[in-house]
Amino acid sequence: MGTARVVFDKWDGRYATRMGGVRTSAVRDLFAAASRPDVISLSGGMPDIRRVPVEAVNRATREALKHQGAAALQYGSSEGRVQLRQTIVGLMGESGVRLGIDDVIVTAGAQQGLDLIAKVFLDPGDTVICEGPTYVGALQAFSAYEPRIVHVPLDDRGMDTDALEEVLRSVGPRGAKFIYTIPNFHNPAGVTMTPERRRRLIELSREYDIPVVEDDPYGRLRFEGGHILPLKALDCDVIHLGTFSKVFAPGMRLGWMAAPRPILAKVLLAKQSADLCGSAFTQAIAEAYFTGTGWRHVLADLTRAYRERRDAMLAALEEHFPPEVTWTHPEGGFFVWVTLPPFLDTKALLAEAIDLGVTFVPGADFTMDGSFRNCLRLAFCYEQPEHITEGIRRIAAVIDDKLELYRAFAAAGVVPAVQRADAQEGGRAR
Amino acid sequence: MKEKIAVLMGGRSLEREVSLKSGERVFGALTELGYRAIGLDVTPDLVETLRRERPDAVYIALHGKFGEDGTLQEVLEFLGIPYTGPGVIASALAWDKSLAKRLFAEKGVPTPPWVTFTSGAFKEMGAATALDLVPSVLGGFPVVVKPTEQGSALGLTRVDDAPGLPDALLTALSFGDSALVERWVQGRELAVSVLDDGAGGGSRVLPPVEMVPRSGLFDYTAAYTQGETVYYCPARLSPDVAAEVVRLAAECHTLLGCRDVSRCDMVVDDEGRPFVLEVNTSPGMTTTSLLPMAAEAAGMTFQQLVDTLARAALDRVE
Repeated sequence: MGTARVVFDKWDGRYATRMGGVRTSAVRDLFAAASRPDVISLSGGMPDIRRVPVEAVNRATREALKHQGAAALQYGSSEGRVQLRQTIVGLMGESGVRLGIDDVIVTAGAQQGLDLIAKVFLDPGDTVICEGPTYVGALQAFSAYEPRIVHVPLDDRGMDTDALEEVLRSVGPRGAKFIYTIPNFHNPAGVTMTPERRRRLIELSREYDIPVVEDDPYGRLRFEGGHILPLKALDCDVIHLGTFSKVFAPGMRLGWMAAPRPILAKVLLAKQSADLCGSAFTQAIAEAYFTGTGWRHVLADLTRAYRERRDAMLAALEEHFPPEVTWTHPEGGFFVWVTLPPFLDTKALLAEAIDLGVTFVPGADFTMDGSFRNCLRLAFCYEQPEHITEGIRRIAAVIDDKLELYRAFAAAGVVPAVQRADAQEGGRAR
Repeated sequence: MKEKIAVLMGGRSLEREVSLKSGERVFGALTELGYRAIGLDVTPDLVETLRRERPDAVYIALHGKFGEDGTLQEVLEFLGIPYTGPGVIASALAWDKSLAKRLFAEKGVPTPPWVTFTSGAFKEMGAATALDLVPSVLGGFPVVVKPTEQGSALGLTRVDDAPGLPDALLTALSFGDSALVERWVQGRELAVSVLDDGAGGGSRVLPPVEMVPRSGLFDYTAAYTQGETVYYCPARLSPDVAAEVVRLAAECHTLLGCRDVSRCDMVVDDEGRPFVLEVNTSPGMTTTSLLPMAAEAAGMTFQQLVDTLARAALDRVE
């Protein structure tokens, strides 16, 4: 609950100028006003951690302390504990990526990986290529190092590799430091890069000698369709970021980076200055948790729940959203990306949605240049299906009210009548 | 220790960020002046906090809906707490640009020709079929389309031809229920601030500020991004135009029933004719804001400006 008293930052004006460039969410303050318990949150990408049995974590913790007590409470190696890296090698193997433990280091979530990559690669003014829209946390991590961020559009087959090629042609070989992509169940777009596009991306990366940073937090949360090989499986030069946040718990703050060893050596130097080493304690707990098959049942249960919620969201969108609106159909992950007619500004809509007791994230938050003003991201991961349905109904009411006006214009023939599903092919066709 | 003053800032309006910047500067100035200042945001426990803190006056550093439209003023009247700036009626009148323009036109204050559309006129009455009349009524393009009730130029679009009009209206109407279509006046954009001397001592008009936005349009980005606009203070005007501009600002201040402070936004066309666009009753107080700039040109520091406004409110204690 917000209290009226404002606390000022008396150090304002003394911070490094680069902090001014760090992307912050302009709607964060709006959300602060929306922390009432009755507000349905379709904004946050929080895993439904209530489904991870506390008893299993308790057991893993006791085991960690019993067998690894001294080591778990001591400083550890910067690379991370050998056994956890072995676990990661196993997980990556299941996804089709063959690695040795020296190809992997443990990070504090994939987020630290993003920061470290930016830290070792970026000088001010360097170019980074990202999808547009892209993950806000990546924009935040990168922008602290003052790069120029170039966005490449997405469609329902993932990053548009033709558009990427155009960008690469303009920047030339080694003209960007890396290409950042979220190939599976994209945040925020909800789309997945096809195998053909993945191969093309790798070809282009080799042709222009610009490495790919593959961020894959959601890869194991697939509801339908077959597994698609990660980019890392297509090219061992790919820098791959993984996380335990979605397959276990974000509270552990555990992720990993799989990358060519020279890059890992540089990253380790940067990591040592950031935190010396990760928490050996949570690493030891994760090792114990990932021994045996219990975690697989929990993950299967989580995936089932997310699937049910996605279905509830897609059904509610179909039922309540007006025909002028399109959205993506995620095969996994947490998010649906919604495109409204171009004259609507979702930041203005959010204020009204909050009044009705529902939140989403406006599309402009997901790029550096604030485009996608007419888009929004919906997260289906956290709320129960019935709340998702109600939340969608409320957002639909806000949009409908605005579209009524558009329809009055269309009826007078001064604007074209909007065609359904022309903004994003396959938006709702499936 | 001097009186206790609560600086109200933030709020959930679209101008929150600007208001927080204004509020922080005002808070700093009040503290340096020796007042017991506290900063308050507009939250559901605002009224409760005001009753508990019992400030001697409220400094309104809010911009936009609720802070500038008379809502907060009405609440403070009810709570019996004196506040800076115009009262309920003047705030509500100035906030509704359409009503204010009507008043100006009736009293012979030059304002560019305009039409007002509410979303109801389109939804319930088919007013969109009459958009073809807009150029003849207003005397042709370009026109400016903006929300009737919005500060900081949010939702404002310049339209150069008929096909652009519907989209601009839809944009403006996404910020509120009513939009203005106003004839574009090519010329110099001015902000002319009026400051009351307190205790019935009359008003004085501060030196006009001229804004030259790099993009050609003084919109939200131009107003709040450093380097996007070049300012001249005092404005580059001939003495008789300057005198007329000053007279008009004072007249609008009086016409709307403003007290303490107002900022009149005008355009002077190439023949030197001034037109009043709108009056702001809660002018920005950020480092790039126009009122502090004008005060400085009049030899008044930011602290002195804040002190003048705070004293005016404190002097209203019954």
